Amino acid sequence: MHRTVPSLPLAPSVKVKLINAGFQVASDLIDMRPLQLCKEAGISQEEAVEVLQMLRDDAQPHQQRAATESLTALDLLHQEQTLGSIVTFCSGLDDALGGGVPVGKTTEICGAPGVGKTQLCMQLAVDVQIPVCFGGLGGKALYVDTEGSFLVQRVADMAEAAVQHCTLLAEDTEQKQALEELTVEKILSNLFLVRCHDYVELLAEVYLLPDFLSEHPEVRLIVIDSIAFPFRHDFEDLSQRTRLLNGLAQQLIQLATQHSVAVVLTNQMTTRISNGQSKLVPALGESWGHAATQRLILHWEGLRRLASLYKSPSQMEATIQYQITVQGFRDAPDEPRHTDSSAVSSPSGNYSKRPRLENLS
Amino acid sequence: MVILKEGICPGINEDFIKALQSEDIRTVEDFVSCNPEELAQKCSLSYKALVAVRRVLLAQYTAFPVSGADLYEELLSSTAILSTGSPSLDKLLDSGLYTGEITELIGSPGSGKTQVCFSVAVNMSHQLKQTVFYIDTKGGMCASRLLQMLQTKTPNMEEQMEALQKIKVFRVFDVFSLLACLQNLRSNGLQKASIGGGSVKALMVDSVSAVLSSMLGGKQNEGMSLLMQVAGEMKMIAKDFNIAVLVTNHVIKDGNGHLKAGLGQSWSHVPRTRVLLQRVENAETSSLRTATLTKSSRQACHLVEEFDLCHWSEERRTSISGKRKLESSKP
Repeated sequence: MHRTVPSLPLAPSVKVKLINAGFQVASDLIDMRPLQLCKEAGISQEEAVEVLQMLRDDAQPHQQRAATESLTALDLLHQEQTLGSIVTFCSGLDDALGGGVPVGKTTEICGAPGVGKTQLCMQLAVDVQIPVCFGGLGGKALYVDTEGSFLVQRVADMAEAAVQHCTLLAEDTEQKQALEELTVEKILSNLFLVRCHDYVELLAEVYLLPDFLSEHPEVRLIVIDSIAFPFRHDFEDLSQRTRLLNGLAQQLIQLATQHSVAVVLTNQMTTRISNGQSKLVPALGESWGHAATQRLILHWEGLRRLASLYKSPSQMEATIQYQITVQGFRDAPDEPRHTDSSAVSSPSGNYSKRPRLENLS
Repeated sequence: MVILKEGICPGINEDFIKALQSEDIRTVEDFVSCNPEELAQKCSLSYKALVAVRRVLLAQYTAFPVSGADLYEELLSSTAILSTGSPSLDKLLDSGLYTGEITELIGSPGSGKTQVCFSVAVNMSHQLKQTVFYIDTKGGMCASRLLQMLQTKTPNMEEQMEALQKIKVFRVFDVFSLLACLQNLRSNGLQKASIGGGSVKALMVDSVSAVLSSMLGGKQNEGMSLLMQVAGEMKMIAKDFNIAVLVTNHVIKDGNGHLKAGLGQSWSHVPRTRVLLQRVENAETSSLRTATLTKSSRQACHLVEEFDLCHWSEERRTSISGKRKLESSKP
């Protein structure tokens, strides 16, 4: 135990008393009995017990192990290959994302109203349940709805279309067997729905998620639609909002990594005015842009809907077109991509990787 | 500050300690700052014994001054300069990352900080054959991207695997875990790594603002203390083990609309060198970035270099040097 007392996760008042009593390193404390500690440091009995429990605690094995053991990048590579990703049924978007929405990372989807964020979220909640033999993850989904835009009937339609798609693909007996179990009812029953009405409920829900995920280890997707709504109205102290959001982001990425789930967040857009020009940028502020691991911006161009991968640690920036049909989130009908007058053509002529059309910064 | 316990020095036993504690003397510091005569009277301990113990404790626990010339010799022999692999960035950093110092990368979301960290890590593990410790606080570590970068450098699978094994990743998501990780590295992690055969020359923390920014501000009174502890640990690791530390931070806009590093004034003094990364507006390829030197003790500030994230080891044909603040004054 080489931890110094100021770096321990204890209440500041307790730490001050311990330091004044002369305890500098955790190893000084570890051999003490609660009564002894109580007398020497002048803290209450309960606080002394708490301190000693924290020092000897093995109840948080994940964090302790993570802090002291390292993985080599090679081990991490093997881990990533087993984790997989969730398809979106839009092949252009799947290619741009490197196979789909990655499990173990947080993805943020930003867009103007009506462009298809909730549709994409509902599609992902259905797609995560596609059985493993068809190339899916066979997992369950948790949908946290803060806006009230979740419609069960729409999910049922998407589930129906997904089952039909799998029926057309089924070839061998294993797939046919899995297909028998895949029904619209089953898909709907594997989708957990939580409705949060304000930011306090949302924070409480995220706080309770680790226990929920331990009880339901088959959950592979958590959708929060949207994270912007509860934080955007009625919030007077903007710096407090930034702090809460940053804390929330760290909790979500911790969940994603420790429990191997994909976390998808939806964000809204706001207008930023600079140099006499206005442009749409993602809401919740500049520092929120650092929070998610990957950022996808959905936007309109005339009548076309486009999705741009704006930030990703492993994929190059790309813009693809998609459409929303009765069956759900799908590829756009015509083969893309006529370069627009406003777009700059890519030098390599590779149409699946194109620079962003708008300067979104 | 060391607590007085039995056995830290011959002559200290339990009665001795109890007598001292009754006078409210608990640590070595308290003991040596007291007058032995007064103490002998108050505690009814022998004056000779007190003086003897005091002498031993002073000898054990004082710091000794070192001459400047010795320090300089030590610095020359122990500092190494690690190339980042990108000629433009090396030019900016005065030929590379210096061991014993903290270098900071700042930029808005999507400006390329994590990609630069990856490129530097890959260069160190593959080209320079050094072990790299990478602390990831945002989940941005993507081993398949590291593999992609290695594949452009060498087609040999074994070399790629070897290089990947030299990059060791820690994933911590809050400030207390980060402190635990750094303290563990300082006490035994780094020695273990150097015994294993490789030598550790670089530590990367991506990013430091993700864990600290939620602790600062508002009614919280612990944020600054934790920020300074993190800074202190990183500096000690850099100095004691001759390691180059690279951290990433976010940017905020100040009153005039200029970009500056996040985490406030106190943090801004911690790194020795700071580089601002920005996207190039209206560029032909979307992977172009500019790096601006905003804090350096060796080069004139506001030097700007352009580089391409996709072609890390190539030099850009044109390099843009921004306005120079001072004449370049080298020590």
